[in-house]
Amino acid sequence: MISAPDVVAFTKEEEYEEEPYNEPALPEEYSVPLFPFASQGANPWSKLSGAKFSRDFILISEFSEQVGPQPLLTIPNDTKVFGTFDLNYFSLRIMSVDYQASFVGHPPGSAYPKLNFVEDSKVVLGDSKEGAFAYVHHLTLYDLEARGFVRPFCMAYISADQHKIMQQFQELSAEFSKASECLKTGNRKAFAGELEKKLKDLDYTRTVLHTETEIQKKANDKGFYSSQAIEKANELASVEKSIIEHQDLLKQIRSYPHRKSKGSALCSAETQHAQDQADQVATTSNPDESADADLYTRRPAYTPKLIKAKSTKCFDKKLKTLEELCDTEYFTQTLAQLSHIEHMFRGDLCYLLTSQIDRALLKQQHITNFLFEDFVEVDDRMVEKQESAPPKPSPGRPPSRSLDECPIPQVFVSVGSYKSSVESVPIKMEQELGDEEYKEVEVTELSSFDPQENLDCLDMDMKGSISSGESIEVLGTEKSTSVLSKSDSQASLTVPLSPQVVRSKAVSHRTISEDSIEVLSTCPSEALIPDDFKASYPSAINEEESSYADDSEGAIHFQASISPPELGEAEEGSLENTLSQTDSSCCIGKESDSLRVPLSTPAHTHSDPDGVVSSPPQRYRQKDQGFHVDFAGENASPSRDNSSEGFPAFELDPSRLLASRDVSKTSLDNYSDTTSNMSSIASTSSDRTPSSAHPTGPSSERHKKRAGQNALKFIRQYPFAHPAIYSLLSGRTLVVLGEDEAIVRKLVTALSIFVPNHSRHAKPVKHWVSSPLHITDFQKWKLIGLQRVTSPAGAGTLHTLSRYSRYTSILDLDSKTLRCPLYRGALVPRLADHRTHIKRGSTYYLHVQSVLTQLCSKAFLYTFCHHLHLPAHDRETEELLASRRASFLKLNLGLVNEDMKVVQYLAELLKLHYVQEPPGTGHPTLRFDYVPSFLYKI
Amino acid sequence: MSNLCPPPSPAVAKTEIALSGESPLLAATFAYWDNILGPRVRHIWAPKTEQLLLSDGEITFLANHTLNGEILRNAESGAIDVKFFVLSEKGVIIVSLIFDGNWNGDRSTYGLSIILPQTELSFYLPLHRVCVDRLTHIIRKGRIWMHKERQENVQKIVLEGTERMEDQGQSIIPMLTGEVIPVMELLSSMKSHSVPEEIDIADTVLNDDDIGDSCHEGFLLNAISSHLQTCGCSVVVGSSAEKVNKIVRTLCLFLTPAERKCSRLCEAESSFKYESGLFVQGLLKDSTGSFVLPFRQVMYAPYPTTHIDVDVNTVKQMPPCHEHIYNQRRYMRSELTAFWRATSEEDMAQDTIIYTDESFTPDLNIFQDVLHRDTLVKAFLDQVFHLKPGLSLRSTFLAQFLLVLHRKALTLIKYIEDDTQKGKKPFKSLRNLKIDLDLTAEGDLNIIMALAEKIKPGLHSFIFGRPFYTSVQERDVLMTF
Repeated sequence: MISAPDVVAFTKEEEYEEEPYNEPALPEEYSVPLFPFASQGANPWSKLSGAKFSRDFILISEFSEQVGPQPLLTIPNDTKVFGTFDLNYFSLRIMSVDYQASFVGHPPGSAYPKLNFVEDSKVVLGDSKEGAFAYVHHLTLYDLEARGFVRPFCMAYISADQHKIMQQFQELSAEFSKASECLKTGNRKAFAGELEKKLKDLDYTRTVLHTETEIQKKANDKGFYSSQAIEKANELASVEKSIIEHQDLLKQIRSYPHRKSKGSALCSAETQHAQDQADQVATTSNPDESADADLYTRRPAYTPKLIKAKSTKCFDKKLKTLEELCDTEYFTQTLAQLSHIEHMFRGDLCYLLTSQIDRALLKQQHITNFLFEDFVEVDDRMVEKQESAPPKPSPGRPPSRSLDECPIPQVFVSVGSYKSSVESVPIKMEQELGDEEYKEVEVTELSSFDPQENLDCLDMDMKGSISSGESIEVLGTEKSTSVLSKSDSQASLTVPLSPQVVRSKAVSHRTISEDSIEVLSTCPSEALIPDDFKASYPSAINEEESSYADDSEGAIHFQASISPPELGEAEEGSLENTLSQTDSSCCIGKESDSLRVPLSTPAHTHSDPDGVVSSPPQRYRQKDQGFHVDFAGENASPSRDNSSEGFPAFELDPSRLLASRDVSKTSLDNYSDTTSNMSSIASTSSDRTPSSAHPTGPSSERHKKRAGQNALKFIRQYPFAHPAIYSLLSGRTLVVLGEDEAIVRKLVTALSIFVPNHSRHAKPVKHWVSSPLHITDFQKWKLIGLQRVTSPAGAGTLHTLSRYSRYTSILDLDSKTLRCPLYRGALVPRLADHRTHIKRGSTYYLHVQSVLTQLCSKAFLYTFCHHLHLPAHDRETEELLASRRASFLKLNLGLVNEDMKVVQYLAELLKLHYVQEPPGTGHPTLRFDYVPSFLYKI
Repeated sequence: MSNLCPPPSPAVAKTEIALSGESPLLAATFAYWDNILGPRVRHIWAPKTEQLLLSDGEITFLANHTLNGEILRNAESGAIDVKFFVLSEKGVIIVSLIFDGNWNGDRSTYGLSIILPQTELSFYLPLHRVCVDRLTHIIRKGRIWMHKERQENVQKIVLEGTERMEDQGQSIIPMLTGEVIPVMELLSSMKSHSVPEEIDIADTVLNDDDIGDSCHEGFLLNAISSHLQTCGCSVVVGSSAEKVNKIVRTLCLFLTPAERKCSRLCEAESSFKYESGLFVQGLLKDSTGSFVLPFRQVMYAPYPTTHIDVDVNTVKQMPPCHEHIYNQRRYMRSELTAFWRATSEEDMAQDTIIYTDESFTPDLNIFQDVLHRDTLVKAFLDQVFHLKPGLSLRSTFLAQFLLVLHRKALTLIKYIEDDTQKGKKPFKSLRNLKIDLDLTAEGDLNIIMALAEKIKPGLHSFIFGRPFYTSVQERDVLMTF
């Protein structure tokens, strides 16, 4: 493998290092250091060179015809930045390498001076002794007063890290080119203005001289010219020549080849204008007219003055400043661009490189990157994406969204099946009160259903759900923890965007009333308990299982309105064929296909080692679109009346509500309907402050750092951080309750890093709410900071909270308690280990980011793993499919217990986001997970 | 390119080099600062082409200017500085290595430059480091040669009475030629066989219907894992170019686009030479079924290398970065010392340096079995084949995997940065790091550390301290934490 002649002995260290006495040692200057990184206290963070400046900066230098190379300004303009670094010396060094052979003057064969529009040159060089390395961008500006009309300048990005400059060379070059183009555009404008003034002066001088000559001519009647007259005539001729030269220069500067100004976004409008001007000049014979037409010259009227035909000696004049050479506006723009560059390339190279790699990799993940990525950054990426967006698809075909411009896979799991997998119930969220209209886009054989029949069912359910002390929630007390800890029951309310309902006839077990939440939880007696409620009772477990099967037969499936109108009827075989097709129609086709098969409801039956099996207490599949958030309906009124009459006073005490759990639960369950209705009405009718979709604002590094720091504090301070984070990750709204706004906001910001986004446009986090929560809030927000008001006026807020408390997690900052479902997974401990030695918030933020990226990856795999969501054969039952999925999550993704739900929830978000058209525009699913909650205290 | 150049100096010698393929390099030059005449060009190397892209006069003009401003040179002792020019007016890019040396008893400044057309900028930039590293080392050697030659010449003049002054300093040219030609060949081969920036996953093993379809599962896992543990630097050898290239492309999926452009596919007919500094390169075995790796060049690669034989499905890897760098430096120093001590031109011939120590025992065992298992790549491979091939699913999944790796690497850097207060304190809590960042599997740590090393050079050496530990020793030490 290894060729012998190349081998140099090195077996023992001393053999290398020991020098024979009789031979001269290799001078160190000809050798290489043995430890390039670890000698003399050097480390990967220390500047190898010991530069005299504290951080990178930009230097603008000029090669002055009077004093030679000189520094003009630095960005940032702070002496602390460049410290004792010798700017004069460095200017001399960087200006001495200019390659621009910008020839200006009278070239052979040309009558007039020619402007040579030289292109900028870029040089990377360094001063290894000073530890300064620079990217130097050379440019030439025009100055009528300057020698040869040119003033050489350079802009240099100076850094102690040579690798940084070389690795970012193209980016630096592109950014500095923009700045240079801006300067040059301003300069051309100023130069043209200068020429015009000069022309006016010359014209005026010519007139004066001409007049004088005429006077002299008239006065001279001797028939010959005096020497004075000849001198005047020569002067006049010289002025005439100068006028022609300057006119030519003006023409040249205005006919600047604009192809060279490519990439100058800063000055694009100006260049366009200048181009117009150039065209104008080309067609105008009279330079005065062209000058008048020039919009450049729309400046205060200039009073021409008499000038000498010959220019002053260069050493007698004061050279223009850079700002004077360029238009002030352009100069300011350039400085802004340079500041932007300085900011852009500031800091450690490793962060720059990683962010670039990050961006490139995230571009390939349009399907998943909305989940946890900073949406400000994502928006930027989206802008980039839009810039290069392909044309819209042809009509007759649903617009397809590309997965990184590549074939898009079908989504094999329908919305419905996900809903069922997380036991969610879709709720039609319509704000129009009293609107009972059901939009049925397609009523298939399976799903044909009489709306009136459904309504009847709703009524019946409502009647049966007035009150109950037998609520499942009651079972979730501390006394019954051992049983309930294994319960996996949850009832979810799903709100598709605009449901196009595909309903089934089989609504025999359950229908959903206008407040299905309460239907789920309030059953006066066992006789009235629908089959799927029986799961609450240990003896009913098996029945629960069978009811699943029934449900799956008669499921009502919701489809988000954003679904393409065509529901594909693709068969299994044809699906395989269509896999290679990449548009969303395939996906929907697949979905509709999955709608045809009984929608999966994986049997979430946990068999624990001790043999206790818990199953969901309800597993109804009647995701009836009839559930409206229109609480002003007929059925709601009596409830409201009840509530107003019978609301016990102790319920108004929030601390009691939370602390005395048993009592509060009972009372909550008893009155939950009524409170719900009240709050709903209040919510829908009141003028609520519009919630900001971007509560966090631009997500700066500082913000990340603070969020990370506070999150770190939280996980160290609160032993129940894991279930709280689990709630967020699994889509269960977490309400942070507290009196002090600052503290609540701080914690909400900290916890927001764990909240999966629903779209690219908004983070579902509400930092501070003081008004009562409405059901739509749970649709919009997954993390809410809620004000606790001790006064009776604030009781409504807490009552609303208690109304939904079984479906939300509540973190009470004042009493330091958390009420939420149990968590027994392995994922969150990795994410939030209170024993972690991570010291800084920014580091913790990075850690969270990397773990969440891993999680996204798992969710992506689960979502798009085709064989998980399709029956292997015709006879494969939904249960088998579900168990296959569960086993995949466990064995292939290594997920245990509740971690599965996290991935399932993320997969659901991915799926919804994917089927939405356009993506991320709609509201997410509203789910209420009905699982027993536990009270955690410090 | 501009015609406004002064006429060439009549003294400039030129070597024309015949290359088999297209040469992106216009010329290479060696210039020096003459105390009387200023910058002068001593030698030009140019590929032999029918179409003259750059006249000798233009080359001389450009080369002279590489030393512009170097009269102000303010460098550390022995420094070899790099200057990089993009001259739009001339349509060229120039890379110059500027150094001081003793020639004919005078200390002067020299510049070895390569000139490429500006259109090759994006082609060249990913290869910048490779070119600079190689030219830097040859300059180190050439500088010694220049220094020694003067002494020898003086001795010969005294002893033999012969006049050889006119030859002085010239002999550095053959030495430089010995590296300039390979660099030209490298660039030429990269022009025709470099891995594209974007790789179609369909051309890789990851497009198989199932894992193990085109290569053994364990082999693939080892290959990718070791490839990532050695900073993405791998050599793939085999008898079938197609097979080799499939693995090359597969490994390149795990690199950044710039790194891919610094990787090379295998030539179908005859094999390329091994080139130090490329990330992944495919090499074809000869008719005897073997491929000889040049030890010296493997040692001079900036990162350790994974050796993958697709014929026998073996994967071997070099020691981790800190050990590799340490060994490399020791090798370099010993080579330069041997050069310094060499007494004849034969001794100083390139690549044939034999250390004359009697106790010489070459340690050829630089490639070891992959001992550290990882969970990251294993999980990835276990999972990715669940996704349907032929769509973009696997590419997306791969991108997610790479994102995880990069984010973990950055987290690791930041963790160490915090823990050591940016290197002010020694790092002593590797165990904590492994637990906190979920890198308890040794292979996982190696992969993330290797990735971190690329974006934060010197991290290995810093963490593992004085790199005297072998891998095994290191593990033993780590176990004690």
